[in-house]
Amino acid sequence: MIIPIRCFSCGKVIADLYEKYVDLISNPQDEEGNPMPDGEAMDKLGLNRYCCRRMMLTHVDLIEKLLRYNPAERDIIKVSGPNR
Amino acid sequence: MEGRFPPSNPWAPLTAEELEARKVVNVNAETVTNTAATDIPGHWGPEQDDSWNLGRFRDNLRIDFHQNKPHDAAFSLVGVDASIANAFRRILIAEIPTLAIEEVFMFNNTSIIQDEVLAHRLGLIPLTGGEKGLKWLRSFRKPPPKDDFAAQAAHNDDGEPSTASDFNTVVLGLKVECRWATEALDGRDGKKLAKEGETDPNVRYVNSNVYARDFKFMPQGQQETQFAGEDAIKPVNPDILIAKLRPGQKIELQCHCIKGVGMDHAKFSPVATASYRLLPQINITSPILGAEAKKFARCFPKGVIGLEPSDESDPNSEPKAVVKDPMKDTVSRECLRHDEFKGKVKLGRVRDHFIFSVESTGQLRSDELFLDSVRLLKAKAERFKKHLSELEEGR
Repeated sequence: MIIPIRCFSCGKVIADLYEKYVDLISNPQDEEGNPMPDGEAMDKLGLNRYCCRRMMLTHVDLIEKLLRYNPAERDIIKVSGPNR
Repeated sequence: MEGRFPPSNPWAPLTAEELEARKVVNVNAETVTNTAATDIPGHWGPEQDDSWNLGRFRDNLRIDFHQNKPHDAAFSLVGVDASIANAFRRILIAEIPTLAIEEVFMFNNTSIIQDEVLAHRLGLIPLTGGEKGLKWLRSFRKPPPKDDFAAQAAHNDDGEPSTASDFNTVVLGLKVECRWATEALDGRDGKKLAKEGETDPNVRYVNSNVYARDFKFMPQGQQETQFAGEDAIKPVNPDILIAKLRPGQKIELQCHCIKGVGMDHAKFSPVATASYRLLPQINITSPILGAEAKKFARCFPKGVIGLEPSDESDPNSEPKAVVKDPMKDTVSRECLRHDEFKGKVKLGRVRDHFIFSVESTGQLRSDELFLDSVRLLKAKAERFKKHLSELEEGR
Protein backbone atom coordinates (compact mmCIF):
# COMPACT_ATOMS: atom_id res chain seq x y z
CA MET A 1 0.00 0.00 0.00
CA ILE A 2 2.59 2.53 1.15
CA ILE A 3 6.30 2.07 0.52
CA PRO A 4 7.75 -0.35 3.13
CA ILE A 5 10.26 1.17 5.56
CA ARG A 6 12.91 -1.44 4.85
CA CYS A 7 13.87 -3.89 2.16
CA PHE A 8 12.20 -7.22 2.96
CA SER A 9 15.35 -9.27 2.34
CA CYS A 10 18.33 -7.28 3.56
CA GLY A 11 16.83 -4.64 5.86
CA LYS A 12 18.20 -1.54 4.13
CA VAL A 13 16.06 1.54 4.78
CA ILE A 14 14.26 2.43 1.55
CA ALA A 15 11.24 4.52 2.61
CA ASP A 16 13.28 7.74 2.45
CA LEU A 17 14.36 7.01 -1.13
CA TYR A 18 10.97 6.39 -2.72
CA GLU A 19 9.99 10.05 -3.22
CA LYS A 20 13.42 10.84 -4.67
CA TYR A 21 13.11 7.81 -6.95
CA VAL A 22 9.67 8.85 -8.23
CA ASP A 23 11.00 12.35 -8.84
CA LEU A 24 13.98 11.04 -10.82
CA ILE A 25 11.95 8.77 -13.08
CA SER A 26 9.06 11.16 -13.71
CA ASN A 27 10.55 14.67 -13.91
CA PRO A 28 13.04 15.94 -16.52
CA GLN A 29 16.63 15.17 -15.48
CA ASP A 30 18.77 16.00 -18.54
CA GLU A 31 19.06 18.91 -20.98
CA GLU A 32 16.61 17.27 -23.38
CA GLY A 33 13.98 17.05 -20.68
CA ASN A 34 14.00 13.26 -20.38
CA PRO A 35 13.44 11.57 -17.04
CA MET A 36 16.12 9.20 -15.80
CA PRO A 37 15.77 5.48 -16.65
CA ASP A 38 14.74 3.28 -13.70
CA GLY A 39 18.07 1.46 -13.48
CA GLU A 40 20.15 4.63 -13.40
CA ALA A 41 17.85 6.19 -10.82
CA MET A 42 18.27 3.20 -8.53
CA ASP A 43 22.06 3.28 -8.99
CA LYS A 44 22.05 6.96 -8.07
CA LEU A 45 20.10 6.28 -4.89
CA GLY A 46 22.60 3.61 -3.83
CA LEU A 47 20.31 0.63 -4.36
CA ASN A 48 22.95 -1.87 -5.47
CA ARG A 49 21.47 -5.24 -4.54
CA TYR A 50 18.63 -6.72 -6.51
CA CYS A 51 16.57 -7.24 -3.35
CA CYS A 52 16.42 -3.48 -2.68
CA ARG A 53 15.96 -2.71 -6.37
CA ARG A 54 12.85 -4.87 -6.64
CA MET A 55 11.36 -2.98 -3.67
CA MET A 56 11.46 0.26 -5.67
CA LEU A 57 10.85 -1.18 -9.10
CA THR A 58 7.78 -3.23 -8.24
CA HIS A 59 6.12 -1.01 -5.64
CA VAL A 60 2.55 0.07 -6.41
CA ASP A 61 1.62 3.09 -4.33
CA LEU A 62 -1.99 2.10 -3.66
CA ILE A 63 -2.32 4.52 -0.75
CA GLU A 64 -2.78 7.34 -3.27
CA LYS A 65 -6.00 5.68 -4.43
CA LEU A 66 -7.27 4.97 -0.91
CA LEU A 67 -6.59 8.54 0.17
CA ARG A 68 -9.36 9.66 -2.17
CA TYR A 69 -11.95 8.02 0.10
CA ASN A 70 -11.78 10.51 2.93
CA PRO A 71 -15.12 11.06 4.69
CA ALA A 72 -13.73 14.14 6.43
CA GLU A 73 -13.04 15.68 3.06
CA ARG A 74 -16.49 15.91 1.50
CA ASP A 75 -15.78 19.56 0.84
CA ILE A 76 -13.21 18.58 -1.80
CA ILE A 77 -16.06 17.62 -4.07
CA LYS A 78 -17.87 20.82 -3.26
CA VAL A 79 -14.75 22.85 -3.92
CA SER A 80 -13.16 21.21 -6.92
CA GLY A 81 -16.16 19.78 -8.68
CA PRO A 82 -17.06 16.18 -9.48
CA ASN A 83 -13.95 15.51 -11.61
CA ARG A 84 -11.59 15.74 -8.54
CA MET B 1 44.55 -31.83 -0.20
CA GLU B 2 44.58 -34.81 -2.48
CA GLY B 3 47.46 -37.11 -1.48
CA ARG B 4 50.97 -36.36 -0.32
CA PHE B 5 53.91 -35.88 -2.69
CA PRO B 6 56.42 -37.35 -2.62
CA PRO B 7 54.87 -40.46 -1.07
CA SER B 8 58.24 -41.76 0.12
CA ASN B 9 57.90 -40.28 3.61
CA PRO B 10 54.25 -39.63 4.39
CA TRP B 11 55.08 -38.20 7.84
CA ALA B 12 57.47 -35.46 6.72
CA PRO B 13 56.37 -31.91 7.59
CA LEU B 14 54.56 -30.09 4.79
CA THR B 15 56.69 -28.21 2.28
CA ALA B 16 56.10 -24.54 1.58
CA GLU B 17 54.17 -25.46 -1.59
CA GLU B 18 51.96 -27.90 0.26
CA LEU B 19 51.32 -25.31 2.98
CA GLU B 20 50.21 -22.87 0.29
CA ALA B 21 48.04 -25.50 -1.43
CA ARG B 22 46.16 -26.43 1.72
CA LYS B 23 45.06 -22.80 2.12
CA VAL B 24 43.12 -22.98 -1.15
CA VAL B 25 39.61 -24.31 -1.76
CA ASN B 26 39.64 -25.72 -5.30
CA VAL B 27 36.78 -24.58 -7.50
CA ASN B 28 36.50 -27.02 -10.42
CA ALA B 29 34.07 -27.12 -13.33
CA GLU B 30 31.56 -29.35 -11.55
CA THR B 31 32.90 -29.79 -8.01
CA VAL B 32 34.43 -27.93 -5.11
CA THR B 33 37.23 -29.82 -3.39
CA ASN B 34 39.52 -29.36 -0.39
CA THR B 35 36.77 -27.54 1.47
CA ALA B 36 37.73 -28.54 5.03
CA ALA B 37 40.51 -26.80 6.93
CA THR B 38 43.32 -29.20 7.83
CA ASP B 39 45.49 -26.99 10.04
CA ILE B 40 44.58 -29.14 13.03
CA PRO B 41 47.34 -30.63 15.21
CA GLY B 42 47.95 -34.25 14.25
CA HIS B 43 46.19 -34.12 10.88
CA TRP B 44 49.43 -34.28 8.90
CA GLY B 45 51.30 -36.49 11.31
CA PRO B 46 53.57 -35.80 14.30
CA GLU B 47 56.23 -33.92 12.32
CA GLN B 48 53.93 -31.14 11.07
CA ASP B 49 53.56 -28.48 13.76
CA ASP B 50 49.99 -27.19 13.62
CA SER B 51 49.67 -26.36 17.33
CA TRP B 52 48.18 -22.97 18.06
CA ASN B 53 50.79 -20.35 18.72
CA LEU B 54 50.09 -16.75 19.67
CA GLY B 55 53.17 -15.36 17.93
CA ARG B 56 52.41 -17.17 14.69
CA PHE B 57 48.79 -16.11 14.83
CA ARG B 58 49.81 -12.49 15.41
CA ASP B 59 52.19 -12.58 12.44
CA ASN B 60 49.54 -14.01 10.12
CA LEU B 61 46.58 -11.89 11.23
CA ARG B 62 45.91 -8.90 9.01
CA ILE B 63 43.03 -6.48 8.55
CA ASP B 64 43.01 -4.18 5.49
CA PHE B 65 40.22 -1.70 4.94
CA HIS B 66 39.13 -1.28 1.32
CA GLN B 67 36.37 1.18 2.10
CA ASN B 68 35.48 2.75 5.42
CA LYS B 69 32.35 4.86 5.29
CA PRO B 70 30.08 5.14 8.36
CA HIS B 71 27.24 3.38 6.56
CA ASP B 72 29.28 0.99 4.45
CA ALA B 73 32.60 -0.66 5.20
CA ALA B 74 34.52 -3.32 3.31
CA PHE B 75 37.65 -4.92 4.69
CA SER B 76 39.74 -8.07 4.48
CA LEU B 77 40.19 -10.19 7.57
CA VAL B 78 43.12 -12.53 6.91
CA GLY B 79 44.49 -15.34 9.02
CA VAL B 80 41.55 -16.62 11.06
CA ASP B 81 39.46 -19.76 10.80
CA ALA B 82 36.02 -19.69 9.16
CA SER B 83 34.38 -20.40 12.51
CA ILE B 84 35.78 -17.18 14.00
CA ALA B 85 34.90 -15.06 10.98
CA ASN B 86 31.39 -16.51 10.98
CA ALA B 87 31.03 -15.81 14.70
CA PHE B 88 31.80 -12.14 14.02
CA ARG B 89 29.22 -12.05 11.24
CA ARG B 90 26.52 -13.64 13.35
CA ILE B 91 27.24 -11.39 16.32
CA LEU B 92 27.05 -8.36 14.02
CA ILE B 93 23.61 -9.36 12.80
CA ALA B 94 21.99 -10.68 15.95
CA GLU B 95 23.78 -9.73 19.17
CA ILE B 96 24.92 -6.12 19.19
CA PRO B 97 22.32 -4.11 21.13
CA THR B 98 20.69 -1.10 19.49
CA LEU B 99 17.83 1.26 20.27
CA ALA B 100 14.48 0.89 18.50
CA ILE B 101 10.84 1.70 19.08
CA GLU B 102 9.23 -1.18 20.97
CA GLU B 103 5.95 0.10 22.35
CA VAL B 104 3.54 2.53 20.67
CA PHE B 105 0.72 4.23 22.55
CA MET B 106 -1.91 5.47 20.10
CA PHE B 107 -3.89 8.43 21.32
CA ASN B 108 -5.50 9.20 18.00
CA ASN B 109 -5.12 7.68 14.57
CA THR B 110 -7.69 8.63 11.96
CA SER B 111 -5.31 8.01 9.05
CA ILE B 112 -6.00 5.16 6.64
CA ILE B 113 -2.95 3.26 7.96
CA GLN B 114 -4.19 0.91 10.67
CA ASP B 115 -2.76 1.13 14.19
CA GLU B 116 -0.88 -2.16 14.01
CA VAL B 117 0.55 -1.46 10.56
CA LEU B 118 1.65 2.00 11.67
CA ALA B 119 3.23 0.60 14.84
CA HIS B 120 5.15 -1.97 12.78
CA ARG B 121 6.40 0.74 10.43
CA LEU B 122 7.52 2.89 13.36
CA GLY B 123 9.45 0.00 14.88
CA LEU B 124 11.59 -0.41 11.75
CA ILE B 125 12.84 3.19 11.79
CA PRO B 126 16.52 3.21 12.81
CA LEU B 127 17.26 5.70 15.59
CA THR B 128 20.49 7.40 16.52
CA GLY B 129 21.81 9.72 19.20
CA GLY B 130 24.94 10.58 21.12
CA GLU B 131 27.30 7.60 21.21
CA LYS B 132 28.04 8.11 24.90
CA GLY B 133 24.37 8.32 25.79
CA LEU B 134 23.55 5.16 23.86
CA LYS B 135 26.32 3.32 25.72
CA TRP B 136 24.96 4.66 29.02
CA LEU B 137 21.49 3.36 28.24
CA ARG B 138 20.80 -0.05 29.77
CA SER B 139 18.86 -2.82 28.09
CA PHE B 140 15.23 -3.38 28.98
CA ARG B 141 14.06 -6.82 30.04
CA LYS B 142 10.55 -7.32 28.75
CA PRO B 143 8.07 -9.51 30.63
CA PRO B 144 7.06 -12.58 28.58
CA PRO B 145 3.77 -12.53 26.64
CA LYS B 146 0.74 -13.34 28.81
CA ASP B 147 -0.37 -16.23 26.59
CA ASP B 148 3.05 -17.87 26.26
CA PHE B 149 3.37 -20.19 29.27
CA ALA B 150 6.64 -21.76 28.13
CA ALA B 151 8.26 -18.34 27.93
CA GLN B 152 6.85 -17.43 31.33
CA ALA B 153 8.27 -20.57 32.93
CA ALA B 154 11.68 -19.91 31.39
CA HIS B 155 11.54 -16.26 32.37
CA ASN B 156 11.05 -16.90 36.09
CA ASP B 157 14.51 -18.46 36.19
CA ASP B 158 16.46 -15.42 35.15
CA GLY B 159 15.46 -12.30 37.00
CA GLU B 160 12.70 -9.76 37.19
CA PRO B 161 11.32 -7.82 34.23
CA SER B 162 12.43 -4.19 34.04
CA THR B 163 10.20 -1.27 34.81
CA ALA B 164 10.40 1.64 32.41
CA SER B 165 12.68 4.38 33.66
CA ASP B 166 15.04 7.02 32.32
CA PHE B 167 18.03 4.68 31.99
CA ASN B 168 16.29 2.03 29.89
CA THR B 169 13.46 3.74 28.00
CA VAL B 170 13.46 6.64 25.55
CA VAL B 171 10.19 8.42 24.79
CA LEU B 172 9.39 9.85 21.38
CA GLY B 173 6.23 11.73 20.50
CA LEU B 174 4.50 12.20 17.17
CA LYS B 175 1.61 14.59 16.62
CA VAL B 176 0.60 15.49 13.08
CA GLU B 177 -2.65 16.75 11.65
CA CYS B 178 -3.32 17.34 7.98
CA ARG B 179 -5.34 20.36 6.85
CA TRP B 180 -6.04 22.46 3.80
CA ALA B 181 -3.44 25.14 3.10
CA THR B 182 -4.80 28.56 3.97
CA GLU B 183 -3.83 32.08 2.94
CA ALA B 184 -3.41 33.20 6.56
CA LEU B 185 -1.06 30.40 7.68
CA ASP B 186 0.71 29.20 4.54
CA GLY B 187 0.44 32.05 2.02
CA ARG B 188 -1.59 29.98 -0.41
CA ASP B 189 -5.24 28.99 -0.51
CA GLY B 190 -5.35 25.23 -1.06
CA LYS B 191 -9.06 25.07 -1.69
CA LYS B 192 -8.90 27.82 -4.30
CA LEU B 193 -5.90 26.17 -5.99
CA ALA B 194 -7.76 22.85 -5.98
CA LYS B 195 -10.69 24.50 -7.72
CA GLU B 196 -8.30 25.81 -10.37
CA GLY B 197 -7.08 22.26 -11.00
CA GLU B 198 -4.06 21.90 -8.71
CA THR B 199 -3.59 18.19 -7.97
CA ASP B 200 -0.29 18.18 -6.04
CA PRO B 201 -1.15 17.24 -2.44
CA ASN B 202 1.92 19.11 -1.15
CA VAL B 203 0.45 22.35 -2.50
CA ARG B 204 -3.20 21.74 -1.61
CA TYR B 205 -2.62 20.52 1.93
CA VAL B 206 -0.27 20.98 4.83
CA ASN B 207 1.23 17.90 6.53
CA SER B 208 -0.09 15.51 3.90
CA ASN B 209 3.08 13.44 4.34
CA VAL B 210 4.28 12.31 7.76
CA TYR B 211 8.05 11.95 7.91
CA ALA B 212 10.40 10.47 10.50
CA ARG B 213 11.74 13.99 11.19
CA ASP B 214 8.35 14.89 12.72
CA PHE B 215 9.27 12.82 15.79
CA LYS B 216 9.83 14.83 18.94
CA PHE B 217 12.32 13.53 21.49
CA MET B 218 10.93 13.80 25.03
CA PRO B 219 13.90 13.42 27.40
CA GLN B 220 13.14 11.83 30.76
CA GLY B 221 15.15 12.48 33.94
CA GLN B 222 18.89 12.03 33.34
CA GLN B 223 18.38 11.85 29.58
CA GLU B 224 18.29 15.67 29.64
CA THR B 225 22.06 15.66 30.15
CA GLN B 226 22.95 12.38 28.38
CA PHE B 227 21.20 13.35 25.14
CA ALA B 228 21.59 17.14 25.30
CA GLY B 229 21.64 19.29 22.16
CA GLU B 230 23.24 17.54 19.18
CA ASP B 231 23.10 14.18 20.94
CA ALA B 232 19.28 14.06 21.00
CA ILE B 233 17.64 10.81 19.92
CA LYS B 234 16.53 11.19 16.32
CA PRO B 235 15.86 9.04 13.27
CA VAL B 236 18.94 8.25 11.16
CA ASN B 237 17.05 9.01 7.95
CA PRO B 238 14.84 12.07 8.57
CA ASP B 239 13.04 11.65 5.21
CA ILE B 240 11.46 8.26 5.93
CA LEU B 241 7.83 8.42 4.82
CA ILE B 242 5.74 7.07 7.69
CA ALA B 243 2.19 7.78 6.50
CA LYS B 244 0.14 9.91 4.13
CA LEU B 245 -2.79 11.98 5.36
CA ARG B 246 -5.68 14.01 3.96
CA PRO B 247 -7.37 17.04 5.58
CA GLY B 248 -8.97 16.18 8.89
CA GLN B 249 -6.87 13.09 9.47
CA LYS B 250 -4.71 13.04 12.54
CA ILE B 251 -1.99 10.91 14.09
CA GLU B 252 -1.10 11.37 17.73
CA LEU B 253 1.05 8.82 19.51
CA GLN B 254 3.89 8.23 21.92
CA CYS B 255 6.62 5.63 21.50
CA HIS B 256 8.77 3.87 24.05
CA CYS B 257 12.14 2.89 22.62
CA ILE B 258 14.26 0.24 24.28
CA LYS B 259 17.62 -1.38 23.68
CA GLY B 260 17.34 -4.86 22.25
CA VAL B 261 19.23 -7.36 20.11
CA GLY B 262 18.69 -8.59 16.57
CA MET B 263 17.88 -12.14 17.67
CA ASP B 264 14.66 -10.82 19.25
CA HIS B 265 13.56 -8.74 16.29
CA ALA B 266 15.30 -7.68 13.08
CA LYS B 267 14.57 -4.01 13.87
CA PHE B 268 17.25 -4.19 16.59
CA SER B 269 19.88 -5.43 14.14
CA PRO B 270 22.55 -2.73 13.75
CA VAL B 271 23.38 -3.79 10.18
CA ALA B 272 21.40 -4.00 6.97
CA THR B 273 23.81 -6.62 5.70
CA ALA B 274 26.93 -8.13 7.18
CA SER B 275 28.49 -10.74 4.97
CA TYR B 276 31.83 -12.13 3.90
CA ARG B 277 33.19 -14.01 0.92
CA LEU B 278 36.50 -15.77 0.43
CA LEU B 279 39.15 -14.16 -1.74
CA PRO B 280 39.02 -15.70 -5.23
CA GLN B 281 42.26 -17.06 -6.63
CA ILE B 282 42.96 -17.42 -10.34
CA ASN B 283 46.02 -19.42 -11.25
CA ILE B 284 47.04 -19.32 -14.92
CA THR B 285 49.19 -22.44 -15.19
CA SER B 286 50.27 -22.08 -18.82
CA PRO B 287 50.28 -18.82 -20.84
CA ILE B 288 47.10 -17.76 -22.64
CA LEU B 289 48.01 -15.67 -25.69
CA GLY B 290 46.51 -13.58 -28.50
CA ALA B 291 42.82 -13.81 -29.28
CA GLU B 292 42.41 -16.46 -26.60
CA ALA B 293 43.66 -13.98 -24.01
CA LYS B 294 40.94 -11.52 -25.02
CA LYS B 295 38.29 -14.21 -24.81
CA PHE B 296 39.71 -15.26 -21.46
CA ALA B 297 39.42 -11.71 -20.11
CA ARG B 298 35.78 -11.61 -21.18
CA CYS B 299 35.04 -14.68 -19.05
CA PHE B 300 35.62 -12.55 -15.93
CA PRO B 301 34.13 -9.30 -14.62
CA LYS B 302 35.85 -6.12 -15.84
CA GLY B 303 39.25 -5.45 -14.31
CA VAL B 304 40.00 -8.99 -13.13
CA ILE B 305 42.14 -10.05 -16.10
CA GLY B 306 44.54 -7.67 -17.84
CA LEU B 307 46.44 -8.00 -21.11
CA GLU B 308 50.19 -7.48 -21.21
CA PRO B 309 52.75 -8.01 -24.00
CA SER B 310 54.05 -11.57 -23.75
CA ASP B 311 57.60 -10.36 -24.39
CA GLU B 312 58.47 -7.68 -21.86
CA SER B 313 61.11 -6.05 -24.07
CA ASP B 314 58.78 -5.85 -27.10
CA PRO B 315 55.58 -3.86 -26.50
CA ASN B 316 54.14 -4.99 -29.85
CA SER B 317 54.38 -8.69 -29.10
CA GLU B 318 51.34 -10.93 -28.73
CA PRO B 319 49.18 -10.01 -25.68
CA LYS B 320 49.18 -12.35 -22.69
CA ALA B 321 46.45 -12.72 -20.09
CA VAL B 322 47.53 -11.79 -16.54
CA VAL B 323 45.58 -11.69 -13.29
CA LYS B 324 45.12 -8.04 -12.29
CA ASP B 325 42.63 -7.97 -9.41
CA PRO B 326 41.21 -11.32 -8.27
CA MET B 327 39.18 -9.53 -5.55
CA LYS B 328 36.71 -8.32 -8.20
CA ASP B 329 36.03 -11.84 -9.45
CA THR B 330 32.71 -13.52 -8.74
CA VAL B 331 34.04 -17.06 -9.40
CA SER B 332 31.44 -17.67 -12.09
CA ARG B 333 33.57 -20.51 -13.55
CA GLU B 334 32.75 -19.27 -17.04
CA CYS B 335 36.37 -19.85 -18.17
CA LEU B 336 36.09 -23.54 -17.27
CA ARG B 337 33.31 -24.03 -19.83
CA HIS B 338 35.60 -23.36 -22.81
CA ASP B 339 37.80 -26.15 -24.17
CA GLU B 340 40.66 -23.85 -25.19
CA PHE B 341 41.37 -22.99 -21.54
CA LYS B 342 41.32 -26.61 -20.37
CA GLY B 343 44.37 -27.31 -18.21
CA LYS B 344 45.56 -23.73 -18.46
CA VAL B 345 43.75 -22.23 -15.49
CA LYS B 346 42.93 -23.26 -11.93
CA LEU B 347 40.26 -21.46 -9.91
CA GLY B 348 40.11 -21.42 -6.16
CA ARG B 349 39.35 -19.45 -3.04
CA VAL B 350 41.74 -18.59 -0.24
CA ARG B 351 40.42 -20.30 2.86
CA ASP B 352 41.57 -17.78 5.46
CA HIS B 353 41.02 -14.52 3.58
CA PHE B 354 37.57 -13.12 4.38
CA ILE B 355 36.34 -10.07 2.50
CA PHE B 356 33.80 -8.58 4.88
CA SER B 357 31.13 -6.14 3.87
CA VAL B 358 29.34 -4.41 6.74
CA GLU B 359 26.52 -2.00 6.01
CA SER B 360 25.34 -0.22 9.16
CA THR B 361 21.80 1.13 9.45
CA GLY B 362 23.30 4.24 11.03
CA GLN B 363 23.10 3.96 14.80
CA LEU B 364 26.78 3.02 15.04
CA ARG B 365 29.63 3.35 12.55
CA SER B 366 30.34 0.23 10.49
CA ASP B 367 33.97 -0.13 11.62
CA GLU B 368 32.97 0.44 15.25
CA LEU B 369 30.35 -2.30 14.86
CA PHE B 370 32.99 -4.81 13.85
CA LEU B 371 35.09 -3.90 16.89
CA ASP B 372 31.98 -4.33 19.04
CA SER B 373 31.49 -7.81 17.63
CA VAL B 374 35.09 -8.68 18.52
CA ARG B 375 34.56 -7.36 22.07
CA LEU B 376 31.34 -9.33 22.41
CA LEU B 377 32.93 -12.58 21.25
CA LYS B 378 35.76 -12.02 23.74
CA ALA B 379 33.29 -11.43 26.57
CA LYS B 380 31.39 -14.59 25.64
CA ALA B 381 34.60 -16.63 25.56
CA GLU B 382 35.59 -15.30 28.98
CA ARG B 383 32.17 -16.16 30.38
CA PHE B 384 32.49 -19.67 28.98
CA LYS B 385 35.94 -20.05 30.54
CA LYS B 386 34.59 -18.94 33.90
CA HIS B 387 31.82 -21.54 33.73
CA LEU B 388 34.35 -24.22 32.81
CA SER B 389 36.53 -23.39 35.80
CA GLU B 390 33.47 -23.53 38.02
CA LEU B 391 32.76 -26.97 36.60
CA GLU B 392 36.25 -28.11 37.54
CA GLU B 393 35.79 -26.86 41.07
CA GLY B 394 32.61 -28.95 41.23
CA ARG B 395 30.20 -26.11 41.91
